[in-house]
Amino acid sequence: MNRMTPYLFMAPAAVIIVITLLYPLGYMVYGSFRDWDPSQTIGETEWVGLRNYIVLYGDPAFRESMWVTLKFAFWVVTVEMILGVGLALLLDRNLRGMSLLRTLFILPMMIAPVVVGLMWRYMYHPTVGTINRWLKEFGFSGVDWLGQHALLSVIIADVWQWTPFIFILSLAALQSLPSSAIEAARMDGATNWQAIWHIKLPLMMPVLIVTCLLRLIDAFKVLEVILVLTEGGPGLSTEILALRISRTATEFRELGTAAAMSGYLMLLLMTLTAAMFIYTKLVERRAQRLARMVAEAE
Amino acid sequence: MPNQDRQHPAFYAVLVTLVFMAVGPICLMFINSFKLDVDILSGTSGLLFMPTLQNYETALCDVLPYEPDHLEYCSLKIGGSFTNSLIISIVSTALTLVIGCMAAYALVRFRFMGRDVASMTTLAVRMLPPAVLLVPVFGLWNNEFCIDKDSFVGELIRDTFGGRGDICLAGTHSGIILVYIAMNLPFVIWILQSFIVQVPRQLEEAARMDGAGPFQVFFLVVLPLIRPGLAAAAIFAFRIAWNEYLLASALSDRDTKTVPILIVNNMSEFNIEWGVIMATGMLLAIPPIIFTLLASRQIITGMTAGAVKG
Amino acid sequence: MRQSLKTLAAATGLAIASLGSAHAGPYDEFAGTTLVVNFPAHPHYNAVMQVLPEFTKETGIEVEVDQLPYLKMRERQTLELGQEDGDYDLIAYVVFSKADYVYADQLENLARYFMNPKLADPSYDSDDLIDGYVYNIGFAGGKKGYLEGKTGSLFGIPFGSETSVLGYRKDIFDKHGLKVPETYDELLETACKIPELEPGMGGLSSRAASGHHASHAFLLHLAPLGGRVFDDAWKPRINDEAGVAAANALKTIVDCGPEGAASYGFGEALGSFLNGDTAMFLDTTVVAGQIDDPSKSQVVGKVGWAMHPMGVRRGSQTGGFGIGIPKNALNKEAAFLLMQWLTSKKGDKLVAMAGGNPSRFSTHADEDVNAKFPHMATFGEALKHADPDWRPIIPVWGKINADIGTTLSKVLTEDLDIQEALDGVAERAEAIMDEAGYYTWQ
Repeated sequence: MNRMTPYLFMAPAAVIIVITLLYPLGYMVYGSFRDWDPSQTIGETEWVGLRNYIVLYGDPAFRESMWVTLKFAFWVVTVEMILGVGLALLLDRNLRGMSLLRTLFILPMMIAPVVVGLMWRYMYHPTVGTINRWLKEFGFSGVDWLGQHALLSVIIADVWQWTPFIFILSLAALQSLPSSAIEAARMDGATNWQAIWHIKLPLMMPVLIVTCLLRLIDAFKVLEVILVLTEGGPGLSTEILALRISRTATEFRELGTAAAMSGYLMLLLMTLTAAMFIYTKLVERRAQRLARMVAEAE
Repeated sequence: MPNQDRQHPAFYAVLVTLVFMAVGPICLMFINSFKLDVDILSGTSGLLFMPTLQNYETALCDVLPYEPDHLEYCSLKIGGSFTNSLIISIVSTALTLVIGCMAAYALVRFRFMGRDVASMTTLAVRMLPPAVLLVPVFGLWNNEFCIDKDSFVGELIRDTFGGRGDICLAGTHSGIILVYIAMNLPFVIWILQSFIVQVPRQLEEAARMDGAGPFQVFFLVVLPLIRPGLAAAAIFAFRIAWNEYLLASALSDRDTKTVPILIVNNMSEFNIEWGVIMATGMLLAIPPIIFTLLASRQIITGMTAGAVKG
Repeated sequence: MRQSLKTLAAATGLAIASLGSAHAGPYDEFAGTTLVVNFPAHPHYNAVMQVLPEFTKETGIEVEVDQLPYLKMRERQTLELGQEDGDYDLIAYVVFSKADYVYADQLENLARYFMNPKLADPSYDSDDLIDGYVYNIGFAGGKKGYLEGKTGSLFGIPFGSETSVLGYRKDIFDKHGLKVPETYDELLETACKIPELEPGMGGLSSRAASGHHASHAFLLHLAPLGGRVFDDAWKPRINDEAGVAAANALKTIVDCGPEGAASYGFGEALGSFLNGDTAMFLDTTVVAGQIDDPSKSQVVGKVGWAMHPMGVRRGSQTGGFGIGIPKNALNKEAAFLLMQWLTSKKGDKLVAMAGGNPSRFSTHADEDVNAKFPHMATFGEALKHADPDWRPIIPVWGKINADIGTTLSKVLTEDLDIQEALDGVAERAEAIMDEAGYYTWQ
């Protein structure tokens, strides 16, 4: 009994993860080697080897979609990190009403992506939308948001929703920094800017990297906002991989191809996370060294 | 840390702008949901309009006790979907918590064979995008995870609940709930681990001395102590289940549609009725907004526990 | 208006009821059955929703409707029709699904039902159904596999079918003394003149968003300008002169259109016309009801209708929906009765009066309908030039259509060269056609 206890505790979670995540994942890989139509069970499908993957590799539309995914993820994460950390540094003070502020800030990320999409779709509307209306009010000409600047528009919507996430995490990290280190720096006559650059940021680094990693993973999960905003258009300019997978599966009914796309997406994601992970370890070691140095200096 | 001194006025200007940007779009949606389409389109921005409940009447026509005058028939049936969304989110959240809690406890408190594998797996599956699950889950739930309608159990289900064809996971509440539990588990386990670590071991030891078994220790000693963690995890799990669109749309049928599906469907190309769309959006957004306002402390603790200490 | 509809419905209901008491009616056997039907979210079917209670009252057959946006509807149907027992007894399908469903043997051949004396209503008058629509939407197996021909047969009945007409703002045209365009040259010229005459107003609002919107808008111009997607040997000819002219026309229209027109879907395009932001609208007839609805439209009573302008020939689109009975339906006979009732002279008129698109000649000529919808006469005229071959209806069309849509969207937003873009489409289409076996006999 005693030796079985941990297994009993783990069992329900393990069963569910195996049945609903791991088994389907295997099923997907298996299906990606087959010519698969939604009306068929997988047993009836034809084995085509690597054909799905090879065809996709040569398909310029798929490559563009891959490229759009990377561009979207890169810009979203970069902009959100800069804004979020910047705001945290700016607002790291004892202010009355700070908790109310934080509450209001987390509202966007609690709201359904579908709703975020429709809110922004209204605001981006070329003629009745709020943004263009205001632009015109102030004498500018309207911007073709969801047309020529579709990718930018989609990125802005995501930045609106997720910058608060990074802000909250960086703020928490900032406030858990040893105040002695910063005091010591002040004593040595460091300016605010120097304190941020040489003490605060390096000490926050481990948390920032984890945050960044989390956002990166989530950036590859985005789909609904874009679906509602642009449906991937115009052209393929906002057709991220996730959207292409879902369209290939449901609209074109090519499950085999969609499975192979999912395979590529997983590959891409795994490479990126692994790279980030290794980088994290390196940075962590550096931060520890710095923390030790700070401690010794005292 | 700087003490509570007076800040530069520009600083407050920045603050106000930020708050405005964060909350503005939501307020805009809120206001527009009380406007008629004609008012929304004609561009009388601002607050000078006659508020109307008509959009909400249109959206909720299937649960209203009366028939709204402006409707020829009830096409949007948010009421029913709202129930579906509630059932699916609440059940999946509750189950995720129980199951996730147990797993997190095992991972923190026990050394056992396969612990590292289990721990790594939960971390790894966290990054699975729902889109990757779409194809296999769609195939499995529709074609493989089925009970033959001619089998004993199958006949029983068909006789009790009606419907046609083989009984498959797709199209049932359980099918969607199962997916949501799986999607939320890795995250919930991750958050809860950091809370369980903080529970003093001595308390558990003491309970064990008094003759409590491992499950009693877990349910009577550990669980009450990690309540804040549970609250945070619950909100996040609920949020995912309540908001998710992609997998639900692939797995639900006309009786199990959730609200997000209805909203996307309602943005159909033939009539973009902004007022009604905003009203449905508001209906979907209200529960998470309420949670945020009531439990922002827990949410923030949960978020930071996940990232900072994880 | 609703009142008059109700009286009409009540009167016919009464007439039927008195008839029914004389002998056992055709519907008796099925009274109490619940039919599950799958309809699109579409103005015609919204009108149908208002008429359905009448059917239930008259026949005792309950109808449960699963109404979905049409791409969703197609996804759902793909899944349901592939199953051993389907959920749906009657489905509405968009024209180009016809090829898929018939080819996969998923729709019932209607001959069996029209032969059955217990089911077929002798007063149905199938000659009254508009020929072009029947062949376009219901017929399969004729020429090219999807057109009228001796080898074909009937798998569905047009219901909610549409053609294209030009809507224009009478007030604006009068104010500047503009002539309603008859030809494409005039159309493009007028479209670009309007933004100069009326600052802030777009010429013609067209859908242009990536995907089926852009493709639809392009094909709309392709047929009248003399083009086709494929020649008679299934070789793509979309990149010939006519194709380039059609793409140029679309580009001109979007450039002279309302602000942000390149991202407009159908809803936005119609919305801008309803809101008075554009002076013309060239698309399906389905919109007429909304244009005259004061709760949705700012241009009530200001819109005139004309024929789809002529290029080298007349050729308005044929599209919309048909209804058919899935092979795996549970209540096929009752479904047929509903289908017959909806498309009968009476049903067609009821739906038309509720704002739907009639599929019968008699309804287009009907006095009540014309009194309520004066534009019906123009629409009836437009039907004579409806071109059933304005786009191919073959199983692989969905993929080619999507490619046309994304490529043209790039032309509109990223200034991709038109000839180059269409050459690319032709090349990819040829590969798809080759793989599907269309060149086997050459």
